[in-house]
Amino acid sequence: MNLLSAITATATATAASTNKAINTATAFINDKAYPFNEGETILQFVRRNLGKDFVPTLCDAPNLDPFGSCRVCSVDVALVKDGPSKVQASCHTPLIPNSYIYTDSERITRLRRNIIELVLTDHPLDCLTCEVNNNCELQTVAARVGIRDVRYPEGKNHLDKKKDLSHPYMTSDFSKCINCFRCVRACDEVQGEFVLSMAGRGFDSHIVKSFNNSFFESDCVSCGACAQACPTSAISDVFESKSIVADTKTRTICTYCGVGCNLEVAVVNGKVKSIQAPYDANVNHGHTCLKGRFAFSFYNHPDRLRTPLIRKHGELVPATWDEAYDYIVNELNRIKNDLGPDYIAGISSARCTNEENYLMQKFIRAVIGTNNIDSCARVCHSPTALGMQRTFGTGAATNSVIDLNYTDCIMVIGANPTDAHPVTGAKLKQFAMHGTSIVIDPRRTEMARYATYHLQLRPGTNVAVMNMLLYYIIKEGLEDKQFIEARTEGYEEFKNHILNIDIGKMEAICGVDRNLVRSAAMAYASAPNAMSFHGLGVTEHSQGTYTVMLIADLAMITGNIGRRGVGVNPLRGQNNVQGAADMGCQPHQGAGYLDITNPDYHHMYEDFYHATLPLHVGYKIPQMYDAALNGKLKALWLMGEDNVQTDPNTQHVVNALNQLDLLIVQEIFMTETAKMAHVVLPAASFLEKSGTFTNGERRIQRVQKVVEPIEGTKSDGQIMVEIMNRMGYAQPDYDPKTMLEEIAQIVPFFAGVKWDELGENGKQWPVLKDGSDTEILHIDTFKRGKGKFQVATFKESEEIVNHGAEFPYILTTNRELEHYNCGTMTRRTGNAEILTDDVLMINPADASNHLIAEGDMVCIISARGKIDVKAHITDEVKAGILSSTFHFPDIKMNDLTSSISDSEAMCPEYKVVAVNIRKSKGKYKNKVLS
Amino acid sequence: MSKNLSDLSGRKGLAKNLFEELGIAAKATGTPGEDDMEKLRSEFLVGKANVYGSVSFYDFLKPENQGKKVYICNGSACMTAGTQEKLEATLSEHFSKEETGEMCCLGRCHENSSFHLNGRNYSGDDINDIVNIKKGISTEPDHYHVSSKGTPILTSEYGTVHEYYKIFLDCLQKTPEVLLAELKDSGLRGRGGAGFSMAFKLDSCRNAVSNTKFIVCNADEGDPGAYSDRYIMEQRPHAMLMGMMIAGYITGAAYGVVYIRGEYPESVDIVNECVETLRKEKLIGEDINGSGFTFEFKIIEAQGAYICGEETALLSSIEGQRPEVRVRPPYPTQKGLFNQPTVVNNVETLANLPFIMQHGGKAFAAIGTAKSTGTKLISLDGYFNRPGIYEVDMGTPLSIVINELGGGFRLPVKAMHIGGPLGGLVPVQKVESLTVDFDSFAKEGFLLGHASVVCIPEDYPLIKYLEHLFRFTAHESCGKCFPCRLGSTRGYEMLEKAQEGNYKIDIKLMNDLLETLETGSLCALGGGLPLPIKNALHYFEGELAPFFSENQPRRSGSSSSSGS
Repeated sequence: MNLLSAITATATATAASTNKAINTATAFINDKAYPFNEGETILQFVRRNLGKDFVPTLCDAPNLDPFGSCRVCSVDVALVKDGPSKVQASCHTPLIPNSYIYTDSERITRLRRNIIELVLTDHPLDCLTCEVNNNCELQTVAARVGIRDVRYPEGKNHLDKKKDLSHPYMTSDFSKCINCFRCVRACDEVQGEFVLSMAGRGFDSHIVKSFNNSFFESDCVSCGACAQACPTSAISDVFESKSIVADTKTRTICTYCGVGCNLEVAVVNGKVKSIQAPYDANVNHGHTCLKGRFAFSFYNHPDRLRTPLIRKHGELVPATWDEAYDYIVNELNRIKNDLGPDYIAGISSARCTNEENYLMQKFIRAVIGTNNIDSCARVCHSPTALGMQRTFGTGAATNSVIDLNYTDCIMVIGANPTDAHPVTGAKLKQFAMHGTSIVIDPRRTEMARYATYHLQLRPGTNVAVMNMLLYYIIKEGLEDKQFIEARTEGYEEFKNHILNIDIGKMEAICGVDRNLVRSAAMAYASAPNAMSFHGLGVTEHSQGTYTVMLIADLAMITGNIGRRGVGVNPLRGQNNVQGAADMGCQPHQGAGYLDITNPDYHHMYEDFYHATLPLHVGYKIPQMYDAALNGKLKALWLMGEDNVQTDPNTQHVVNALNQLDLLIVQEIFMTETAKMAHVVLPAASFLEKSGTFTNGERRIQRVQKVVEPIEGTKSDGQIMVEIMNRMGYAQPDYDPKTMLEEIAQIVPFFAGVKWDELGENGKQWPVLKDGSDTEILHIDTFKRGKGKFQVATFKESEEIVNHGAEFPYILTTNRELEHYNCGTMTRRTGNAEILTDDVLMINPADASNHLIAEGDMVCIISARGKIDVKAHITDEVKAGILSSTFHFPDIKMNDLTSSISDSEAMCPEYKVVAVNIRKSKGKYKNKVLS
Repeated sequence: MSKNLSDLSGRKGLAKNLFEELGIAAKATGTPGEDDMEKLRSEFLVGKANVYGSVSFYDFLKPENQGKKVYICNGSACMTAGTQEKLEATLSEHFSKEETGEMCCLGRCHENSSFHLNGRNYSGDDINDIVNIKKGISTEPDHYHVSSKGTPILTSEYGTVHEYYKIFLDCLQKTPEVLLAELKDSGLRGRGGAGFSMAFKLDSCRNAVSNTKFIVCNADEGDPGAYSDRYIMEQRPHAMLMGMMIAGYITGAAYGVVYIRGEYPESVDIVNECVETLRKEKLIGEDINGSGFTFEFKIIEAQGAYICGEETALLSSIEGQRPEVRVRPPYPTQKGLFNQPTVVNNVETLANLPFIMQHGGKAFAAIGTAKSTGTKLISLDGYFNRPGIYEVDMGTPLSIVINELGGGFRLPVKAMHIGGPLGGLVPVQKVESLTVDFDSFAKEGFLLGHASVVCIPEDYPLIKYLEHLFRFTAHESCGKCFPCRLGSTRGYEMLEKAQEGNYKIDIKLMNDLLETLETGSLCALGGGLPLPIKNALHYFEGELAPFFSENQPRRSGSSSSSGS
């Protein structure tokens, strides 16, 4: 049937051949001239000049490629005025300069009406009761083209298609499907998951999920992109997100990971109804994941804490806010007066707003008078901050995620973004499907499966692999000599160090073939622009900071710094982990990373806070536990962190907390840590307060209150303000606008940040006084002047040295998409129906050696303790390596982990635990069945 | 069409091909099992739905056709010949209903009674031998007349491979620019249907920057009634293969893919054998004859979907995607197979290249008319006294083909459907005003197309033929664009209903439908269907009038009236 191709080709090829050069030309819409832009389709041209709705469409969607299936966007095109015209689909036809576009000629309006009439021959007539009534694109277009009747006799149709209600979130009703392919394309082009496809052909074409499964049985990752893309209600969700029934719609920022997705939250009767992703969000462009979109029902879960609690006679009993505050003030004053301010410490939260973090550290420093302030950044990206400070001068991501559009090669090391940072993960995966990608990970993660090079190293040997990469770049002469000369220092010493590496030894240590490493090194070094991304698989190691420095070295040696499409980009784990550090929740640096031991800065802070401040560095989190055990710490204030469950070596943490006179926990749920508290303060969730979060690309975005705090709760910021006032420090009520005014005066890179000017998409710091922001760091010079090459020599983890012989397996940890960290929030949503428990990945060879079958409970034993986890047999991990999730408290993962930390930044080594395994015995043996 | 799926499929190159693997997986039971699909999709990193979706598209892969043993041709020529009812009756004595399927068409339009059994095609009197055929005893191959009037470019003997490929080895001595100039001089236009300039395509692909390029031969001759490409593949295969190699040399493509329809099993075998011969003769492979030019072939057997003759659907098919028509731009010469620059040409077009390179572009251009240079193969069906393949210079009067070469009709014929199902319906009285070239047919409101001729005898009801055309389109529509997916089925339903009595088709609605298909469809399947329908309504108004009315009561109530 070669005829087909030829006809279409002739028509459009002529168009293309004339569509070149001429860039000052115009083209005409309904005989009126408009400026011509090179490369535009007719639809883009019309929309740019006359608005989004000027030409009706059905298969077109904002974040999808032109597809050309509905033909509703057809227009008449003539090359000369009054010349012969041709009907063309405007969405995929390039605009020809000086052409005449007629958007509503008689035959075009007839064509649209006739197409819609055909569509309505196979569509239910139940608009008034349909979820998307008045928000349905078919309904809108049908009304617009003025169709009233269907003239065709009744024929074949799909009206008897059954609804799919199998899934906790996703729903489908394909009797409503108009075959526009938007869901299929969203699943492919946005999420990259390929769960949906058309099946059959011609009139029988219909959407299928996986092997024609239900949503629940399919490989769906519940991102909801298909539902959002669907123009009717053929695919939707249980929250009926597309219904126009909403009292208010508020734009805010997601509370989960550091991607910082913008969300639009619909509220009905004071309750959150549903969440959609705005298309104009720079961060997420109309996309988000199942956590952002669907996992919000924790916010009014019955388990929410609703009243302050004070421990009396060993029991936590309800109290009024006044009672709780009085108790706290008395105790803090007692300890401060009797023992001194350094017997008090605070741990702030990367889950809270910038303003709240700022207040927390201000309270600890200015009101209590100690630098014993840290945050959960300690246990995730503290090595990133330190390593990048030492090499570049500042610890934040150098570039933005949008740079993926400009890069030629990506390196993903120690990160599992498709699970842990799903929206950025989807973008990385999209890149990996066509571009060059290097993945360095002990597991064959989803990214690794799509990677050009997967360097599957032994956990804990990042430094060895990084040194090998650097070695081959120098050996092959692929270093950027000009960049090194102009922008860096310490290169000669660094080069000598690298060239002296024993490659054979490094190869044996990390277990990655040297030729593979060499190929990857050459790919990275020879790409015009290469970008690196790293996660906790880099930082949560005893050599975390060293690995970060080597990643920075790699960027410098190849000149991949200071422009589009390059840089070192840590994938920040929590929504505001960047902000918590920015705001000074660290014992050695105040708000804005200024050294608190520097007399000038010390005075500056004292003047600003109107308080006397200590000059000595305070405790980091692990040191707080040691101090508590040694009687040097008596009070600890925790804001939104469950240290007992999440910090390593649980027994050690519990013992430390047991030594305290006063443990204050601000929380939304009764966590393992809160259960140990003397005072529990019920806090408000992200949906119930305003402020700002700073995402992993330094973007300060507005969190806006969606609903009023649940009765009995207060925002963390308000709690801090009230306690400060009760402790005698005058601090105005919590209000993000005035808080930001205060912060802008003390944090240099917030100088131009104003609440009212942050806009929908926020600003990336540094924000200058004039309000201009910064997408790319280190463009002309590094923050520290010249970039500093730092050497690092591989050192085996003490865990392996001390326990490796007795515990021959290496256990590492990983996350699954459905749950967020220890699951406090996600386990209280529908996500818990999708992923019901933790799993241990074990290689088939190891499983066979221990007679472990799929789904068996496995007992894992380390030098600290033992736990039981359900086995999943997979070659995603090499033999000798185990990997477990840690989302459910029951498994007590941190009973196994050690107290070993990164030698520089004291980030715990979660990722390497020497263990042994056996099939579970006793009560755990049959747990799976229960 | 998914760019991602193109890239992922392309990772394996042509060595291991997803589409081919699906075909292999289907061999055992008629459809790939879920385990096979799971294995393939994880190997190719695509979704389960992608593989499932592709499998469900093709007649020879989809689970519904599992267990079919014998396939009866339901192409236009066999249908108008009226041979298939009897054939079916005979076959039903040997096969159950469940074991009997349909294929369209087997290219045996010259002798009809066509069916497909155990990977072989049969026609004419073969059915009388069904007992032996079932036992595996082979029959005489089919035979049809082949001759030419004018210059025999495609129908002349080409001698041994060794002798014939001197043309190619001589080409390797010249620069691609020189060869391209010859091609430009020749004025060769695509023979698949609409006559697009071959040199323009090659030039565009040549200018595209990429290390990987492809020459794809569209050997998915799906037009019922056409078998001229089958003739070339089975009797002049090296003309086509050499044409691809020359195109590869001109564009810098090192890979040639021949996509042959599964309904032509003999063609697949013959072309495969020819490629083996070329390999033995060291005429393909790396650094051919020390020229530095490398070329490899991949032969892909299609799985039963007419739409794969559309070039972009064909490319998606090779990639293992659903063969849904792609939007242009990008054009295949920019982003084609696996997102790489690709030339897609028809068998007959490519088969002209050796002649052009041997005799020069000007010599080729001297044949035929100014705008339609060279010759054209014409397939004549069983209603002619001398059915067969005829090569004529472009511009030859159609009457010469019919009366002189074809020997006239053996029974009274009222119209000829020329150029495939999307070609024009030519009433016999228009024969005298047509010459065999692109422009003459276009001027008279018809289409030369692939120049196949299917006769509609005097006693064959046109309404039934129109229903057949709509049914064919409805069956073969890829389902992507709204007008074709919905319109072809609604048209078929109306024509079917009108023959049952009590229903007359609102002529205004039919005209609206035809206009919607013609101006709104994404490709020429939906876009081309209205031509023969309109021809029929125009030239056979009287015969068709009883089935139509000026006004038709409307179905009331529609969802659009509510809401916004």
